[in-house]
Amino acid sequence: MIRLSNMLPWRVIAVTLAALPLVHAQEDGSAFFEKNIRPLLVRQCLGCHSATSQPIMGGLRLDSREASLKGGTRGAAIVPGNPAESLLLKAVLHTSGALKMPPGPKMKDPDTALLAQWIQMGAPWGSDASTAIAVKQAKYWAFVPPVDSKLPAVKNRDWVRNPIDAYVLQALDAKGLSPAKPADRRTLLRRATYDLTGLPPTPAEIQAFLNDTSTDAYAKVIDRLLASPRYGERWGRHWLDVARYADSNGLDENLVYKNAFRYRDYVIAAFNKDKPYDRFLQEQLAGDLLPDGDEYERWTATGFLSLGAKMLAEDDPKKMEMDIVDEQLDTTTRAFLGMTVGCARCHDHKFDPISHADYYALAGIFKSSKTMDNFKVVAKWHEYVLAPKEDRDRLAAHEARIEASKKEVTELTKAENDKLAAAGNVRIGAYLLAAAHLQRDSQVHVAPVETAQGAIIVVAGSFVKSNVSTPLEKQKPNTPKDSKGPYFAEYTVNATDAGDYQVDALEQEKGSGTPDLWVNGVWMRHGDPPVLNREASPEAGGWTYLAVVPLKKGANMIRLEHPNRFPYFEKLLVSKNTLAVTPLTSVQIAAKYGVNPGFLDHFGDYLTRSNGSFASPLYAWEILGTQAKRADWVSPVAKLFSDDTQTPEALAARYETLFQQAMKAAKDTTDPGLKALHTFLTEKFGPFRAPDNARRYYTSAVREQLKGLDQQQRDLEKATPDLPKAMGVSEGETMSDIAIHLRGSHWTLGKIVPRHFLSAITTDEQQPVLDDKHSGRLQLAQWMTGKDHPLTSRVMVNRLWRWHFGRGIVPSVDNFGRLGEKPTNQPLLDWLALRFVEQGWSIKAMHRLMMLTNTYRMSSDYDAKSFEADPENVLLWRMPRRRLEAEAIRDGIMTVSGGLTHADAQGGSILKFKDRQYVSNTSKGGDIDYDRTIRAVYIPVVRSSMYDVFRAFDLPDPSSSNGDRDATVVAPQALFMMNSSVMLQHSLKLAERLMSTVPDDASRIREAYESALARPPTPQEIDQAQTYVARMEREWKGDRKKAWQSFCKSLLSSSEFVYLN
Amino acid sequence: MNRHWNSYLNQTVSRRELLKASSIGFGNLALAGLLAQEAARAGVDPLALKAPHFKARAKRVIFLFMHGGPSQVDTFDYKPLLKRDHGKPLPFARPKVVSGQTFNLLQSPWAFKQYGQSGAWVSDLFPEIAKCVDDMCFVKSMWGSNSRHGGALLELHTGSDTFMRPSMGSWVTYGLGTENSSMPGYLTVSPTQSHGGGNNFGSAFLPAPYAGTPIGSVGIAARDAKIPFITNKETPRNVQRMEIDYAQELNRKQLETTGPDRALEGRIESFELAFRMQAEAPELQDLDKESEATRKMYGLDNPVTEDFGRQCLMARRFSEKGVRFVQVSHTYKWDQHENLKRDHAQNAAEVDKPIAALLQDLKARGLLEDTLVLWSGEFGRTPTAEGSDGRDHNPEAFTVWMAGGGVKAGLSYGATDDYGYYSMVNKVHFHDLHATILHLLGLDHQKLTYRYAGRDFRLTDVHGNVVKDIIG
Repeated sequence: MIRLSNMLPWRVIAVTLAALPLVHAQEDGSAFFEKNIRPLLVRQCLGCHSATSQPIMGGLRLDSREASLKGGTRGAAIVPGNPAESLLLKAVLHTSGALKMPPGPKMKDPDTALLAQWIQMGAPWGSDASTAIAVKQAKYWAFVPPVDSKLPAVKNRDWVRNPIDAYVLQALDAKGLSPAKPADRRTLLRRATYDLTGLPPTPAEIQAFLNDTSTDAYAKVIDRLLASPRYGERWGRHWLDVARYADSNGLDENLVYKNAFRYRDYVIAAFNKDKPYDRFLQEQLAGDLLPDGDEYERWTATGFLSLGAKMLAEDDPKKMEMDIVDEQLDTTTRAFLGMTVGCARCHDHKFDPISHADYYALAGIFKSSKTMDNFKVVAKWHEYVLAPKEDRDRLAAHEARIEASKKEVTELTKAENDKLAAAGNVRIGAYLLAAAHLQRDSQVHVAPVETAQGAIIVVAGSFVKSNVSTPLEKQKPNTPKDSKGPYFAEYTVNATDAGDYQVDALEQEKGSGTPDLWVNGVWMRHGDPPVLNREASPEAGGWTYLAVVPLKKGANMIRLEHPNRFPYFEKLLVSKNTLAVTPLTSVQIAAKYGVNPGFLDHFGDYLTRSNGSFASPLYAWEILGTQAKRADWVSPVAKLFSDDTQTPEALAARYETLFQQAMKAAKDTTDPGLKALHTFLTEKFGPFRAPDNARRYYTSAVREQLKGLDQQQRDLEKATPDLPKAMGVSEGETMSDIAIHLRGSHWTLGKIVPRHFLSAITTDEQQPVLDDKHSGRLQLAQWMTGKDHPLTSRVMVNRLWRWHFGRGIVPSVDNFGRLGEKPTNQPLLDWLALRFVEQGWSIKAMHRLMMLTNTYRMSSDYDAKSFEADPENVLLWRMPRRRLEAEAIRDGIMTVSGGLTHADAQGGSILKFKDRQYVSNTSKGGDIDYDRTIRAVYIPVVRSSMYDVFRAFDLPDPSSSNGDRDATVVAPQALFMMNSSVMLQHSLKLAERLMSTVPDDASRIREAYESALARPPTPQEIDQAQTYVARMEREWKGDRKKAWQSFCKSLLSSSEFVYLN
Repeated sequence: MNRHWNSYLNQTVSRRELLKASSIGFGNLALAGLLAQEAARAGVDPLALKAPHFKARAKRVIFLFMHGGPSQVDTFDYKPLLKRDHGKPLPFARPKVVSGQTFNLLQSPWAFKQYGQSGAWVSDLFPEIAKCVDDMCFVKSMWGSNSRHGGALLELHTGSDTFMRPSMGSWVTYGLGTENSSMPGYLTVSPTQSHGGGNNFGSAFLPAPYAGTPIGSVGIAARDAKIPFITNKETPRNVQRMEIDYAQELNRKQLETTGPDRALEGRIESFELAFRMQAEAPELQDLDKESEATRKMYGLDNPVTEDFGRQCLMARRFSEKGVRFVQVSHTYKWDQHENLKRDHAQNAAEVDKPIAALLQDLKARGLLEDTLVLWSGEFGRTPTAEGSDGRDHNPEAFTVWMAGGGVKAGLSYGATDDYGYYSMVNKVHFHDLHATILHLLGLDHQKLTYRYAGRDFRLTDVHGNVVKDIIG
C-alpha cells in the first residue's frame, strides 16, 4: 500500500516511485496522462483552475500544459522532471505553508503519487497540449435560480396536507422511515405559541383551543398568534440576530448607540405588519433612496448598515473607513445572500467564485455611502434627525450656538493663558531662582510623630464649616458630581505658640486627587491631580506630607479645598516644625519670588528631569555647584555664555536677558542660540504651557466671565431641542469606484474596479453603470430582490425554516457557499423559495405554509428505529425537541409569574445613558435596569458587557451576523435557575399569585402546571408536590410563601419548562 | 461536518448507553450523575480534557495583564543612550501612524541595575520582581500593529484589531479542555470593561463555554469579585439542595417519557456541576484559607498591594486546582501621557510585590514548571516625551516577560534600537507570541482551527512563528 506521510514527503515519494513499475521510455506519456492525470485534474482542480472558471483562482490554469508551466500569481505550477520543485505537488501534499489544495479533504495518497510520477516523467500532456481541456462547469447549485420540480409521489398520500409534507415524506420514504404521530393538542399549542410569540399559552388559551372542535381550530390559532403584537417581538428578535443588533458600539470604544432602538422597533413593526421581504431588504440597504413610503421609517431602516461594531479610535482614518466598509459588506452579503464575501478582502475567495475585484467592486458602493460624520479618534457615526425640515434647521442652529459658546470659552482661555505666559516669559531669572529653591525644599521633610509634644490632631469630620457630606467616607464620592464646587472643609486649630507647623494627612485618598491647603486666608499648597483610574483604589498608606505653614498664637483657620470631588482622609496632624530651615511648597515659593506656581512646577519638573543633560538650553544652570564642565555643553545656546564663573544671581540675570532677547526677536532670529531659547519657551510642552487649573490665576472678572460662559453653555445644552434621531446611512460626499487593496491594505493599491455586483451570479446586462451621483446601494438592493435572484429568497425561507424547525434545510444558514452545507432537501427549499416570491415575499404566508403542515404537527417522540437510521433527525421523522432561547426563558418565567408587562405603546429605550456616552461597565449593576419586567427584546444589548442572562443562554455575539443560535447546556444556566434575581423574584411572585388567587393546594399545583407546562399535573404529581410543599414549609420554619416559592423555583427550573416538545 | 455546537447534544446515543440508561432507570442519583458525567467527559462535554498535538511543556497559563501600556524604557529595556541624549530630538523618523505628538528624547526617571545570575536589567521600579529574574524570560523585541488602546488590547487578546475573534484563553480552553470539572476552564479576574471590554475574553464564534468567565470587574474590589449567579443570599444551602433534588426528580421523570436525549441528560448533570461550582468557587476565592505568611507575601496586609495581591493569590489557587487559563488585570492604570514618574511608581508599587510572590509561591509548590506566567501590556511607550513627564503609546516596541511553563529561564531575547523606539533584533509580533504560547501548551497554532463562516480560523490567522529560541 502506498502511503505518503506529511513528515517526509520527498523521501517517501522517492520510495514510492521506486516501488511503482517503471514507466518504459517508450510507453506513451500521453496515454499515462489520459488514463491517470486528466481525470484527476478534471475531478479535483479544473473547477477553479480552467479558462471557464469564474474567477480563475490565483490566476492559475491547469487546463493546458502551457498554462500549467506558466502558472498563476505564485509562479509556475509544474517544473517538469522535478516534483520537489513543483508548486502543484507541494500544494496537494500540504508542504507549502498555507497553500493547501484542493480545498477540503486532502488529496488521496495514490493520487498524489500519480501526480509526482507524472511530473517526474516530464509532465507529458495528451494529444494536443495546446488545447485547453474543455471543462463543462456544472454551475454551483446555489447560483442557479430555484425551479419547481414535480411534486413527489409518496406512499402515504393522506399524510400530505401541502407540498412541504410531500417533500419531507418522500425523503423519509426513501430511507424507509415514517413520520412520528401527531403531537397532542396541548403540546402543539405550546409549541406554536412559543414559536410565534416567544411566550407560553395562557390556561385560558389552552382551554379555548381544547374546546374548539372545528376543523380549522389550529389554523385559527395560527392566525390569532400572527395577529398578536407579540409576534413581531419574537420574530423581529430573530432578524436582529442576523442584523447583529446592539445598543452600543463594543469593539474598542464602547459608546452608547442611544438611537439604535429605533431600528429595533422598526424591525418589530415590519414583522408585525408583514412588510414584504423585498421591500424590507431594500429599506435596510437603501431606504433613504426609495421614492415612496414614510421617510423617517426609511431612514431608520438604514440603521442596519450603521449598527455594526466599529473601531472608533483608530489612528489611521483610512483603515478605519475601510474596516467599516468591510463590516457592512460582510454583514450585508451574509445576512441576505448567505455569502461570505468578506473573505475576499485580501485575496480571491478561497472556495467560492468571488474575486478580489468583486470585493472592491462592492466595497466601492459602501464607500460611496456616508455612515460616519468623521473618522477622528473617537469617530462619530451619522444620525438622521427624524423631524420636519424647520425643526432640523432649528436644531442645527442651536448646535451652532453651542459650538460658538464653546469656541468663545476656548478662545478666552487661550488669550488668558497667553497673557500668563507673556508675563512669565520675561522673568526667567526669578523662575530659575525660585525653581532652585523648590528643588532644595522638596527634598526636606521629616516623618511626623503623632505623639510629639504639642502635636494637634484634626479629625476629618471635625470641621467648623463645610459643604461636603459628613462623615467623609472611604472610596465614595463625598461630594455630588456637579459643577457647583469648589468643595471645602474649614477647621479651627489652636496653637499655643506662634511659629511654623508641619501639616500631614493620614490615609489620604488618591483616586480623586488631593485638596488645596489654605491657612488664615493664605494659599499654602496646591492639590495634586488625580492618579489615573484609581477611583476605587487604596489611599496612600500612612501619613502624607502636605506643607509647613505659619500659625499665629491662638485660633487659626485651616481650609482644605477641592474643585469638584472632595477626597477622603482620616485626620490631619499639625506639629511644630523641627527642621532648621522651613521647607516651602511651590505655592509658598512662588509667592515669595512673585512668580506663577503652575509655571514654577513646570520649571521644577524640567530641571529635575534634565539634570545636566548636555543638550539642555539650561545646562549652565543645571550644573551649578556640580563637577560637570561647561565645555561639555552641546546646545547652540552654549555660545551665548562666555565664562563659567557666574553666581546663581548673575547667571539667572544672564538667562533672563537672553530669553527676553529671544522672545523679542521671535522666529526671525538667525542666531541658533536665541532660536533654541525661543523654541524652549514656546514649544507645545514648554514650561509656559497652561498650568493645571489655570483659571485660578485669571483675574476675578475673567473668572466670572468664564463661569457665566460655562453656565450659558450648560443652559444651551440643556435647551437643545430633543428631536428623535436614528442611526442611518446616506449617499456619500464623493461617490466613486475604488481601487483593489492588495492584501487588504490601503497602502498598496491595485487597479480601480468599477462598482458592480458579484460577477458569478450577475449577467453583464444586470451590472449597473454608476456615476458620481449614485453610490449604487439602491441598485444593489434592487438586484438582490430581483425575482430570479438565486440566493435572496432561498436564504430567507431557509432562515424561516431554521427558526421553526431548529435546523435549516441548508444547515449552514449563513453560508450557502461551497464550505457551507448542501441542502438536505433541495426540491423543498426551491419550492419554498418560489412560493415566497410568488406570494409577494410575505413572511406571514410562509409561517402559515410551514406551520399548517403535518410535518410541523408531528410529536417529538423518540423512535428507536428512526433514531438508529437518522440520529440527527435530518430528514424530520419527528419534530425536534428544542431548548427555549434566552429571551423566551426570561419572558416565560415572567409571564407565568404574572409579572411581565406589555405596555400599549411598546418599544422605546430604557437606556438612561446619553447618546455616544461610554457604557464601559454595566456589571456593577444599577446602570441598566435589567430586571425591568418588559420583554427581553426591549432590554438593551450592550456589546462586550452583555446582560448575564443573555450571555448564559447563548445570545450570539452581537458583533457579527448569526442566524443560527447555539443551544448549549452548561452549568452557568443552572446557576441562573438557582440564584438569579429573575428567578428569585418571579418564583416568589408566582407563589404569591398562587396563594392569593387560587383557593386550595391541589388547585394551586394545577394552576402552576397549566401556566408553566401547559398541561395538568397527574394525580401522582399533585400528591408529590403537596408532600414537597409541606416538607419545605418545615424547612422554611413555617413560612408558607417560601415553601411555595421553592416549589415554583423547581418547576420553573425543570427541563419540561425550558424545552419545547 | 462538525458545524454546530448544538449538534453535540444530538449525537448518536450508543446501544450501550441506552442500556445503561434504561437499566438504572435513574433511580440512583449519584450513580446516574457519575454515568452522565462519564458519558459527558467522553466527548460530549465541550470542556472535556483533550490531548495536545504534541508533548506540552505548560499545562496552564496565568496572564498578568498591565492595561494602559507600561513603558519598556522605564522598566526592563535599559537604554543608556536615552540618558545621554536626553532632550535631543529623535535622530530617526517616527512611525507613519502615531497616536499623538511627542517631543524630544526623555530619559528614564529610574535607575537600572543588573540582577541575578542572568544579569537581567531591571529598573528601580521593580525591586521585588528583580529578585526573580533568573526564573524569567524577557522578550524585548515585541511589536504590535495598533497604536490605540482598543485595537491593541484586542490584538493582544484575540490576535485581531479589526474583527471580532475568540480570545487566546478561549482558544486554549477549546484546544485542551479543563482539568477541573467543577470550575470554568477560563477565568478572568477583575477584567477591563473598556477598550473592547468583554471582547477581550469572549469566545466570538467559538461555542460559549470557551468564553472567559469574569470574576468581578474593573471598579469592583478584588475582595468582592464574584462569578455571575454564583450564589444567592436568600436560600440556605440545604434548602437549595432540596429544591434542586425536586427539579431533578421532575427532569428524570420527563426523561423517562421522552426516550434518550443527550441535551436533557446533560442538563441534569449541569445542575450537579453548578451545585459543586457554587461550593467550590467561593472556596477557591476564600483567601482566609491561606496562611498569614502567604497573605503577607502577596501584600494583602498593605492597602497599596492588597487588591492586586488578592488577584495574584486567587490566580495561584485557581491554577493549582486545574483552571486552564487565568487572567488577572491591573486595569487601565499604565497610560502615563503625563505624571509618568508619580504614576508609574504607584503602578509598580501596586504589582511588584504580588507578582514576585506569585512567582516564588508557584516555584515553591512545584507549579512553575508547568504553569506559564505571562506579563504584558497592550503596547509600550515612546522614548520621546509627551509634555515634560509623559510618554505616548508605542506599539513599535515593548517588553513582555514569561516565566515557567517551558520557557528558557534567565534569558533576554530580542532587542530594540538605541532608544527603545523600534523593535529591531529578533522581532516578535503578537502573532508570534500567540504561536509560542500555544506551542508551549502542546498545541500547533496552524492546526488549532475552528470552522466558521466558510473558513478555518486560527488564533494566529495566517501569521505567527513559534519563537523556538525562547523555549528551554
